[in-house]
Amino acid sequence: MARELKFESPSFAQRLKGMLGVDFYRLFHTPLFYIFLAIAAVIPAMILGTMGSEGAEQLYTNTWHIIAAETPLYVVNGISEYANMNMVFIFGGIMVSIFIGHDYKSGYVKQLFTTHAKKEDYMMSKSLVGAFSMACMCVTYLFGAMLAGLLVQTSFEVNAGSLLCAVLGKMVMSLGWASLYTFLNIIFRKYFGVSIASSFFFGTGILIIGAAAIVGNSSVLNIFLYGASVYACLSANFVTLIVCIACSAAWAAIYNVLGARILAKCDVY
Amino acid sequence: MNAIEIRNLSKSFRGMYAVDRLHMTVPVGAIYGFIGENGSGKSTTEKLICGHLVPDEGEIKLFGRDYTDAGVRVRVGALIENAGCFPNSSVYQNLMMQAINLGIEDREKEIDRVLKIVRMEDSAHIKFKSCSLGMKQRIGIAMALLGDPALLILDEPINGLDTDGMRIMREILVDITQKYATTVLISSHILGELEKIATHYGIIRQGKMIVEMSASELENRARVFVSLKTKDMQGAKRALAAKYGNVKEEDDYLRVYDVDDTEEIVGYLMEKGYVVSELKKNKIGLEEYYVELMSSKEAN
Repeated sequence: MARELKFESPSFAQRLKGMLGVDFYRLFHTPLFYIFLAIAAVIPAMILGTMGSEGAEQLYTNTWHIIAAETPLYVVNGISEYANMNMVFIFGGIMVSIFIGHDYKSGYVKQLFTTHAKKEDYMMSKSLVGAFSMACMCVTYLFGAMLAGLLVQTSFEVNAGSLLCAVLGKMVMSLGWASLYTFLNIIFRKYFGVSIASSFFFGTGILIIGAAAIVGNSSVLNIFLYGASVYACLSANFVTLIVCIACSAAWAAIYNVLGARILAKCDVY
Repeated sequence: MNAIEIRNLSKSFRGMYAVDRLHMTVPVGAIYGFIGENGSGKSTTEKLICGHLVPDEGEIKLFGRDYTDAGVRVRVGALIENAGCFPNSSVYQNLMMQAINLGIEDREKEIDRVLKIVRMEDSAHIKFKSCSLGMKQRIGIAMALLGDPALLILDEPINGLDTDGMRIMREILVDITQKYATTVLISSHILGELEKIATHYGIIRQGKMIVEMSASELENRARVFVSLKTKDMQGAKRALAAKYGNVKEEDDYLRVYDVDDTEEIVGYLMEKGYVVSELKKNKIGLEEYYVELMSSKEAN
């Protein structure tokens, strides 16, 4: 039986729509996403619940300190200064690793790459979905922290504009972080455990913390993902938000280009 | 125009060539049986066509376009090694994801269509991990069929299936090619099954294409033989060998190769005092052709 064969090249928007559609469908149909949303809400509540209660060990007196530091602190004095919304980027890293790991483990990635010749579709889609899920985690984290603050009765005093810029700044940073995790997972695609470990390692910001120990509280660190994430603090303003957007977008572009190149040059398996 | 045209394709792993300057031509509308022993390079070739592996050198064209062309790749369906489904998602959810991926408009209708083709209309809501091997293979084909592919690439789809599973799979493949005129590249070890459906063959060995031919060419190339039974098999064998040369005893029958005149054989044996109790005219099948070809290559 003869039939007319037509081959219409899908536009970039059509390709990305297809790939994003799959990833969002998966995200909303997997318990993993909801588990991580819950973790993001519970962790600040637990920390504030234990370290914000009145007593000798009270480390938090203001609820918003679990969201961000007062000023951009790259060199910290205590563990509590690390424990803010930046933790979402560690949870997000693990979630993105599991999400991409399932693509490879199930073999679904073969279906994707059979029909999608352009590897940048994959990188962009995973980065955007990862960013969305981390941004959602930021929101549940915020609610978890607020609820815990109400329960332990810590102060809610804050400059609302700065708080908004800080939260939005951290949410914006999700794109850069998600791109980094997608990139790491592409590099370590054959080693699921290494993917998770590397995401965790970079998510802690240990490299920037180490660099800060040498260079001090320098604003140069803001060009890095962890630096800009720390910069989104409770003294943030509109400029802070612009810095976060620029940093996140720049790193997202770099990681997406590199990741797409690696995928195009290397075997899927 | 050919559905697949491969020229000088090579792929090595740690210096060992899995595919070595391979040439391959699959005509549009063919069911191309891709045959070779384990490790001969069948799966590697299929993975290269699907873009899962990056070739060292060579050219792959699908329907006259470069295989990296997005327009042609969106019309390729593949079942390579496994169905590529998420185990904790249902059959329906897995198909839905692939339908979204392909940008299909009426997804529910399309999923119903492919489930009907693979005879799994009633199993849509079963979790993929709960499906049997046969069902998983059929789901893999359903995934590959979404979006009306022009080319289907199936890697050992009948391996591990029971007789009934093989029959269903065969019917599905015949349906696909007859109703939708899809070109199918299918690799398999089970040559008897392949012979029932393939219109073209390619035999690969150590990464190189040894021979490509259509089913009718195989028919012409296949040697004819007469198989017969007598009471004194050894005596008859000696007599037949003296006159016809190539005589073998196989499965309790004497096979006289490259002769199809049964009357002449019966007359000759009667003359020599042997009574023929059973007699039939045959042609060697794909399996025997393949074994003969492989042995001759090994001897060379």
